[in-house]
Amino acid sequence: MSTVSSKLGDADTFREIFFEETQEHLANVEAILLRLDTDAPQPDDLNAIFRAVHSIKGSAGMLGCTDMAALTHLQENLLDLLRKGERPIGKGDIDAMLKAGDTVRSQVLHHRGLLSEAPDSSQVEAMMLERVSLPSTDAPGTQAGLVLRSFTVRLAPLSDPIDGAELDMMLQGLGEMGLVENTVVDNVAGGSVRFDVSLQGTATDLESVLSLVVAPDLILIETRVQGGLDPVAETAAVLAQAAGTNIAQPASTDDGDEFFVDPALFKRRGQAAAEPAPPAVESDRAASAADLPIDLFVTPEEFKRRRATAPVAEPAEAAETFAPAAASDNARRAADAAMQAAAASDATFIRVATEKVDLLVNLVGELVITEAMLARQGTLVETGAAGHYGNNTGLADLSRHTRNLQEAVLAIRMLPISNVFSRFPRLVRELSSRLGKRVEVRMSGETTELDRGLIEKISDPLTHLVRNAVDHGLEAPEARIAAGKPPVGVINLRASQRGGNIVIEVSDDGRGLDVERIRARAAECGMVVPDDATDEDIWALIFEAGFSTAEEVTDVSGRGVGMDVVKRNIQSLSGTIDLFSTPGQGMRVTVSVPLTLAIMEAMTVSVGGEVYVLPLACVVESRSVEAGEIHTLPGQGDTLRVRDDYLPVLELAKLFPPKARSAQGGGIAVIVETDGCDAALLVDELVGQQQVVVKSLETNFRKVPGLSGATVMGDGSVALILDVGHLVRLAGREGAMLL
Amino acid sequence: MTNKSILVVDDTRSMRKMVAAVLQGAGYEVAEAGDGIEALELARERVYDLVVTDHNMPRMDGVTLVRELRALPNYDPVALIVLSTEVSPELKQKGREAGASGWMAKPFDPQRMLDIVGKFI
Repeated sequence: MSTVSSKLGDADTFREIFFEETQEHLANVEAILLRLDTDAPQPDDLNAIFRAVHSIKGSAGMLGCTDMAALTHLQENLLDLLRKGERPIGKGDIDAMLKAGDTVRSQVLHHRGLLSEAPDSSQVEAMMLERVSLPSTDAPGTQAGLVLRSFTVRLAPLSDPIDGAELDMMLQGLGEMGLVENTVVDNVAGGSVRFDVSLQGTATDLESVLSLVVAPDLILIETRVQGGLDPVAETAAVLAQAAGTNIAQPASTDDGDEFFVDPALFKRRGQAAAEPAPPAVESDRAASAADLPIDLFVTPEEFKRRRATAPVAEPAEAAETFAPAAASDNARRAADAAMQAAAASDATFIRVATEKVDLLVNLVGELVITEAMLARQGTLVETGAAGHYGNNTGLADLSRHTRNLQEAVLAIRMLPISNVFSRFPRLVRELSSRLGKRVEVRMSGETTELDRGLIEKISDPLTHLVRNAVDHGLEAPEARIAAGKPPVGVINLRASQRGGNIVIEVSDDGRGLDVERIRARAAECGMVVPDDATDEDIWALIFEAGFSTAEEVTDVSGRGVGMDVVKRNIQSLSGTIDLFSTPGQGMRVTVSVPLTLAIMEAMTVSVGGEVYVLPLACVVESRSVEAGEIHTLPGQGDTLRVRDDYLPVLELAKLFPPKARSAQGGGIAVIVETDGCDAALLVDELVGQQQVVVKSLETNFRKVPGLSGATVMGDGSVALILDVGHLVRLAGREGAMLL
Repeated sequence: MTNKSILVVDDTRSMRKMVAAVLQGAGYEVAEAGDGIEALELARERVYDLVVTDHNMPRMDGVTLVRELRALPNYDPVALIVLSTEVSPELKQKGREAGASGWMAKPFDPQRMLDIVGKFI
């Protein structure tokens, strides 16, 4: 294959396209495999898998990814046999193909240089060969053992020496698949390479491996029988190959043979015998044509002659009217347009480094800030502090365009949640088979988009929820039947967009939360649970640290660390998590996170002249407070009565003492809410409501408790963004145990 | 060297791009189509000098495409080459009956492809 790259010019470009394409194929194949009903496989599904594997194999061979080509070739063998219905599809076939997909994925990573070690494919290759060699009926106990076959291979005559490294790699590879011995290498022009090899596979398998390194017409394979070379068997092998059958397995025993016919190989040998040689042309051309890996059904020369006598090619529509010049002009234009369209369809997606997008997001963030500053100055200049810059069209346009630009740029970073969801069918399949459960995964709203940064961060908590649902939520089939439910449990993943948030639901139809057990478990953990606690209060206990009700620790859900970590992760994304359970019917966990963390709808407040930013999502209401309204209740610190509730009061001036504190009683109370806890945040005044561009404190400074980030305001000053969840928890602690 | 036009049909983008690059590198004008249906649409608008098509594609496979192309006016003298990893004699026979001019195996050698194409046009 080394010759390929020279003609292809920049082969890296094609490799990138190929790798990307391969990943799409693999994801597709996996999705199909996971939903495939082994009892009634859809021919379309099998064909789609076959086509994908086939595509990977073809390009891999061209681009020198011989490991991928070899493995996909084996997959193709298995698939061909299955799609022809030669035996029923077993769970083992699905397993083997999933495993093969994983290996190919690793091979891609390896070729991309992201994985230093080449993945070991010997195990999965053995798995494939075993599945292929299964007899037509998949009944247990009738599995034929793997047959070890011996071949003598001769590669000759070598017109040029074989690339040494490739030869070594091939011999080594064969050595891993079986036994290579009696190797005689005379790797020079006019020389030959000869060796004996024993492996589990057929001559065609062997030839397809060899043809990755040397031209197929140099390969001569002889099948050996025990006790040495058998001239009869040898002849039979050649004949059988020419006829497209396989000597290694007698034709009568196994329909699978047909599937083994290797294309590349067969062609050359079969062709020479079976088809008349092309009519005589110049002798050197004829000779070279015979070497070509192509069957010419007509001679090119004949074609040229026919073309010369044929009328000028015209577009089909113009054929009747016969207006050559104009028509071909039109045709040219139409074709140009068509080619542009084809080019455009290729340009539907481009690969861009994430850093470039992040840079763009940052720059636009700066632009938004600058725009805000300009708008402010414009206002001051034009009409004085009280005016509105709406009169100034230039500034208004700038503002609108900036906002649009910002939205468009943020949209670049958005990815569908299917990026996370797609891994769950596989996960559930593996977990459920380990736990002896039967589970079906249903998904909806996979196209809902959110920021790619969030996709990565939300993946762990969601995975945990899905694991929990399989492990703790769903019952074993017997228990389900006993409870009058279908034996197959259902896990539902649903995503939808609500305003600036994405809401993701993970629900199951399992046993639901056992309130009594949670209560008992809480008591064991030393938690105080009031007798009149509602079910909701009890459910919330599973979010407490160190709480786990699994009767025994399983290797699936682990021990202790669980829902508390999930909750903390979601909260660190400014999200919320809620759960709802119906005993015996299942439970539903609802996670809501903002679509992006890069910008935030915010309320700005000030204390002692310093401005702070609150996420608008957690602001419930605000009202002015007189000094006398704040009561200090024993054991609870300061509280403010809001309708029927006494809310803990957080005085921002105490949490972040300003340099100049204007002495004044009262002020404004902003009622904030996170995960069901309300608190009143006491500030001097409300400044306004606006979108802010979030800057990380951690990367620019360091993590500060109570703050989630910073932003640059319109006047160029920096304002800190309050971590309301953290502040409310602080208030709860100061409030000395609200329960 | 030439202003001959070639239509390259393959649903696998990397493969299609490789074939196209090889041909463009030799000075041919290349149009691309992602499957048989798309190829037919292009072919109806313009008569290409040669078509290289994959066989195993969604919607319409290569052999069917060959048959459809042969049925188009003006496509009689156009060389139609199937480029496929599939090379069973039955399939090739089908290709031949459909009107294919040749059947080339993937993976292909770029130089050999150029040699072949050069012989046809």
